[in-house]
Amino acid sequence: MNIPLNISWQQILLHLFNFSILTLGLYILLYNPVKNFMEQRKEYYNKLDKDANDKLNEAKELEITYEKRIADIEKLIEERKASAAQEAKLEAKAILKDAEKKAEKILLDAQQAAQQERAKILEDTQEEITQMAISAVEKLLAQSSSGALNQFLDAVKKE
Amino acid sequence: MLTNTQAEKHETVKEMMRDAVLHDVNKISLFGFIDVNPGLISAIVITSILLITALIIRIFVIPKFKFIPTSKFQILLEEMVGLFDNFAKQNSPHRNNFLGAYIFGAGMYIFFGTLFELLGLQAITTMGHSITLPAPLSDINGAIALGCLSYSVIVFGGIRANGLKGLVHALKEFSMPLSMSFRLFGAMLSGVLVTELVYYYYRLSFVLPIIVAVLFTLLHATIQTYVLVMLTASTYGSATKPEE
Repeated sequence: MNIPLNISWQQILLHLFNFSILTLGLYILLYNPVKNFMEQRKEYYNKLDKDANDKLNEAKELEITYEKRIADIEKLIEERKASAAQEAKLEAKAILKDAEKKAEKILLDAQQAAQQERAKILEDTQEEITQMAISAVEKLLAQSSSGALNQFLDAVKKE
Repeated sequence: MLTNTQAEKHETVKEMMRDAVLHDVNKISLFGFIDVNPGLISAIVITSILLITALIIRIFVIPKFKFIPTSKFQILLEEMVGLFDNFAKQNSPHRNNFLGAYIFGAGMYIFFGTLFELLGLQAITTMGHSITLPAPLSDINGAIALGCLSYSVIVFGGIRANGLKGLVHALKEFSMPLSMSFRLFGAMLSGVLVTELVYYYYRLSFVLPIIVAVLFTLLHATIQTYVLVMLTASTYGSATKPEE
């Protein structure tokens, strides 16, 4: 059968066979290796990107954790400061009270000691006056012997 | 080898043009088995050259590829593969692995096959004349083969993706193999005819071939590659699109 335009089934099949070999060969030798290489590179950079993102996220989480910890520590410090101030205030109050008590006691002791001293001084003075009176009398008696003694005794009797 | 003035003179311009279209006079023996059109010989030569080049690249170049390319050749290869791969992904988002490989092969074949006529390689016909080997796709058998194969790829892609519905969808485009084949053939042939015409006349064979042969061939090689690849990819994409 003559086909117009010099179309030949045999040659069409040969062209098909030739083109199939070419496509298969180019796929195996060129297209697939280059595509695989490009995909490997893509995966490599995607992995790098993913690792970097993971590390960034990890760093952000760490930052958040540390910020929280810092905030907690600051809060704790504030609480401890307040507590210490309160304790110091109470302690100061207690010390002051104690000091006041001690001062009162010292004052009381001093007053008691002063009174005892005064009493002792008065007692000593009376005794001294008595001794002085006795010695004065003795002296007078010695100077005026019996006359004087009689006069004195008369005077005492009159009184 | 590059030019042969004797080859132009054994036939009239009318015979030469007719032969360029029909390939019914000048035949070349294929390894002594059968007489074939010169386009088939060109196709075999092109396939051999491309496969040997690909093998050399595979052995000596690809193993030295670096993640950050340092050679322009690596960039060129990656661009070429990336271009067809992206083209397949854009036009057929659901199934594109096979399509990418197919349009890469077809694109390389059309582009380098068209540029092949620039080499002006000579062959001896069965009648003992020397002729310049034409672009493989200027042979209607080559264009029909590529058009039908592209259509078959689309049909089988549709069946694989959507079964019978995919087949029906692909068969709706029943005129596609015909249009693909003859568009390719017509486009290639027009280039061949203009170039043949220019080379036929001695006075036109100075300076003018630089523009006609080089620029025109480069231009229509690029355009025809783009047209066939785009048509195949977009139709394959719509045939393999999952049915809702």
